[in-house]
Amino acid sequence: MNSDVQFEISQRPDFGLISVQLEQGQKIYAEPSAMAAMDPTITLKAGLKGGLRKTLGRALGGESMVINTFTADRGPGEVIFAPGAPGDAMHYHLDMNTLLVQRGAFVAHTDGVELTGKWQGAKGFFSGKGLVLLQASGTGDLFFNSYGAILEMDVRGEYIVDTGYVVAFENTLNYQVDVLPGLKTGGKLKSFFFGGEGLVARFSGQGKIWVQTRAVNSFLTWVYPYRPAPKNNS
Amino acid sequence: MQYEIKARPAASVVDIRMAAGESITAEVGAMIAMTSGMTVETTARSKGGQGGLMKGLKRMFAGENFFLNHFSSHSEGQSLILGPQLMGDIIHYPLNGTLIVQGSSWLASASTIEIDASWQGLGKALFSGERMFWVKCSGHGDLFLSSFGAIYEVEVDGEFTVDTGHIVAFEETLQFKIGKAGKSLIGSFLGGEGLVCKFSGHGKLFCQSHNPPSFGAALGPMLKTR
Repeated sequence: MNSDVQFEISQRPDFGLISVQLEQGQKIYAEPSAMAAMDPTITLKAGLKGGLRKTLGRALGGESMVINTFTADRGPGEVIFAPGAPGDAMHYHLDMNTLLVQRGAFVAHTDGVELTGKWQGAKGFFSGKGLVLLQASGTGDLFFNSYGAILEMDVRGEYIVDTGYVVAFENTLNYQVDVLPGLKTGGKLKSFFFGGEGLVARFSGQGKIWVQTRAVNSFLTWVYPYRPAPKNNS
Repeated sequence: MQYEIKARPAASVVDIRMAAGESITAEVGAMIAMTSGMTVETTARSKGGQGGLMKGLKRMFAGENFFLNHFSSHSEGQSLILGPQLMGDIIHYPLNGTLIVQGSSWLASASTIEIDASWQGLGKALFSGERMFWVKCSGHGDLFLSSFGAIYEVEVDGEFTVDTGHIVAFEETLQFKIGKAGKSLIGSFLGGEGLVCKFSGHGKLFCQSHNPPSFGAALGPMLKTR
């Protein structure tokens, strides 16, 4: 896959680390806190990018409103991005197409890529915390990350993914958020359906999906019982 | 049933390919992705031997229940990806007999395998504080086990002592006794070592490099109260 910037992803798949080599004058836009290290030739400018509407859109998508801009304005240099969660990192070259990225998975993009929050309407709303997406379109490089490893799937026809595990997908695919068939009997949800568990995205058409091998929500469910008990007011 | 374990050892998942008519059982939440030619049925089982479905539903919020998804393939070339909650490895165990599996390590088993989550051979009271339960798997078929951290196999011949939190599974040919690590119970706990399981006899024992309750206990105090 071609790219506009020179990059390398090391320490895969458990601790994917993205290092990008910028030529003089080149820019890269990243999620705040993603930068781990950079050369002194690079200037960081924090700020809103793309006007208020797009900024609010990104906020809706669950990414912070601020996008940091890294410019190699004092000569070529390197920026290293380390995603927040232990997991893999991925590069995707957009070529006049659109990719939808799960909330929190966005790391960085180059010039030519437009990142907006995409209001999912009822299908996104229903999922609650399940499937909140950012839309990346244009021509340029996009970097995203996962919790756990990333599996790349070539979908032809139909494929079902638990919403907590969707990282990104090409918008040539249609999708619908649904409840896992077993949790529904005769069109009615079983009483123990709760908390977003069992929500799946049903994809159809042709395109690529990236699926992560662990889910943050699932880990939180595990850690929940270890919270301290409230103190008695006696 | 064909399978491939991917992204080993820290973020592993199992990719299971199923022919028409094959089926597999996994805990609700273990399904990551699947093809569309499958039916899924959900049932509940109680942990620790307290029966009754209604009772089970009430206890669900306390994490006392065990919800199972049964995946059945009704056409050729179906596949299913399953993964555990915590970071760690997955192994395949071709079951022919009985294996005792720690609840959080049981990932999935072929529908030909009988699963009994009420098995209390290691004593229920002792483990309630550590949120542990055990699944007794018996029969013949494919069994998938997961671990927190890496997984290692010990061929027990004689005696072997393991901290209970590090047990993944063991063969029923082994005898076991719960005890304390040090001489006195207080001493054992002060020394940071909890309860241990003393195995004897001949058989396979699978251990995990990390102890989930210890990790939970390390994170717990940093979280907000319930």
